[in-house]
Amino acid sequence: MGGFANWLDKKLSGPMARLAEQRHLQAVRDGVISALPFIIVGSFFLILAFPPVPEDWLIAEWAANNVTDILIPYRMTMFIMSLYIAFGIGYNLSKSYNLDPLSGAQMATAALLLTITPQVVEGVGYTLPMTPMGGNGLFVTMIVSILAVEILRFCKTKNITIKMPPQVPASVSRSFEALIPVAILIVSISLVTVALGVDLHKLVEKMVAPLVAAGDSYFGVMLPVFLITFFWSFGIHGVSIVGTIARPLWEVYLVENSAAVAEGASTLPHVAPETFFQWFVWIGGAGATLGLIISMLLFAKSKYSKTLGRTSAIPGLFNINEPIIFGAPIVLNPILIVPFIITPLVTASLSYFAVVLGFVTPTFTMPPWTLPAPIGAFLATGGDWNAVLLVLINIAISVIIYTPFFKIYDNKLLEQETNEEQNETVNA
Amino acid sequence: MKVLFVCSGGMSSAIVVEALKKEAAKKGRELEVKAIGTNEVEQEISNGWSVCMVAPQIRHRFDQVKEQAVKVGVPCGQIPPQAYTPMGGPKLLQAMDDILN
Repeated sequence: MGGFANWLDKKLSGPMARLAEQRHLQAVRDGVISALPFIIVGSFFLILAFPPVPEDWLIAEWAANNVTDILIPYRMTMFIMSLYIAFGIGYNLSKSYNLDPLSGAQMATAALLLTITPQVVEGVGYTLPMTPMGGNGLFVTMIVSILAVEILRFCKTKNITIKMPPQVPASVSRSFEALIPVAILIVSISLVTVALGVDLHKLVEKMVAPLVAAGDSYFGVMLPVFLITFFWSFGIHGVSIVGTIARPLWEVYLVENSAAVAEGASTLPHVAPETFFQWFVWIGGAGATLGLIISMLLFAKSKYSKTLGRTSAIPGLFNINEPIIFGAPIVLNPILIVPFIITPLVTASLSYFAVVLGFVTPTFTMPPWTLPAPIGAFLATGGDWNAVLLVLINIAISVIIYTPFFKIYDNKLLEQETNEEQNETVNA
Repeated sequence: MKVLFVCSGGMSSAIVVEALKKEAAKKGRELEVKAIGTNEVEQEISNGWSVCMVAPQIRHRFDQVKEQAVKVGVPCGQIPPQAYTPMGGPKLLQAMDDILN
């Protein structure tokens, strides 16, 4: 194991981890993450608007009569998440360049808004279509936010700014410093969208359509599932790396699913937002390690496993599994890596087909990831009991797959412990 | 002494923090330990920490964290994987002392 593992770590997981740390990818990642509180809270209004209770209950009637109003907080947050993300990307990227983050954030926001054409509605006046600021607009948002900050950086490094004398207050001189980059940004995007009449959103949507379809296919679901446990097998935070690349897609799926629910659609467009993985696959954390913990609690013979099972159980219930990944350890442990990689592939396959075949509602809200999986799955699917059942089945499957491997490993630990005890008695 | 733990989101290291505190208390040493996520490092690092310890699962970001720590003169090192468990107290304390020396 040692030589091969070292080779994989050096040649594959190391470089991929470094790629995920690339400046622009990192800014996109942090920008998307900065919008999560708005997505989490906003999505809860979907549950409120479509409460998981029988239709004749008073709250269900009230909700049905007031759907539009109840959904306003959702519309202003999750539904237009790209607006928040643009600000977040601009802020984080300019900060990483040591540029004024507020200017960068504002420029990125302006860049996104400039790609949208306002409409005149009679009696209302100018209105801004919201759809391009939602899931659909995320890829345009990523591109123009980066462009905005790069313009700011270009002007700064080439000294193309209006300098104020030092006695001018900092806030005033900062707004003058941003004048030229802002002008370049506004003129260049307007040139494309207004003068040339290019609909950036349609264009980019066509370009990423194959990617959006691929990420939602069976293979597109299996690949991140495998890569994440693969990284963790070397002790590297798999989700933090794979998520950097995949999270934009996952958020698009989530927002498009939620938009479909808000429109009252009966079928949802996507299987695999991040919430699919979170609640159906990463039960107890990446690798579905809740199964391993249950197996430990049931079958552990060695003192070490018994203690570890007990101390990891509570964090595991809330999907925190570093204690068991490093404690067992699973990292670089050839016996436990096998079920660690196989289990999520099996449960993800089952979940994928359960959703595709319509047994389980696709996820469309984002409960906080530290909830126990059955509760999270229930909320994420807007109250589908089949989702809870699927989680319980997946937990059972993970216990079944982990147990034989755990027993082999536990016997080794037990043997070591007895040997040590015998040595101690001999020495005493 | 003040010890800063850095992991991905500050969640998992909070569990390990307890192990380090317990071990230190056994040895009669008083430690203040705080767990944070990588995105909080820049703000937190200059608040008078004696040492900064980075969790093994984010070792690909270790250089970034170290750079920020070194800038403000805080010794910074990685937590060995074997120590990153609720039972890893003695190894954690050892790792901390190694970074400090």
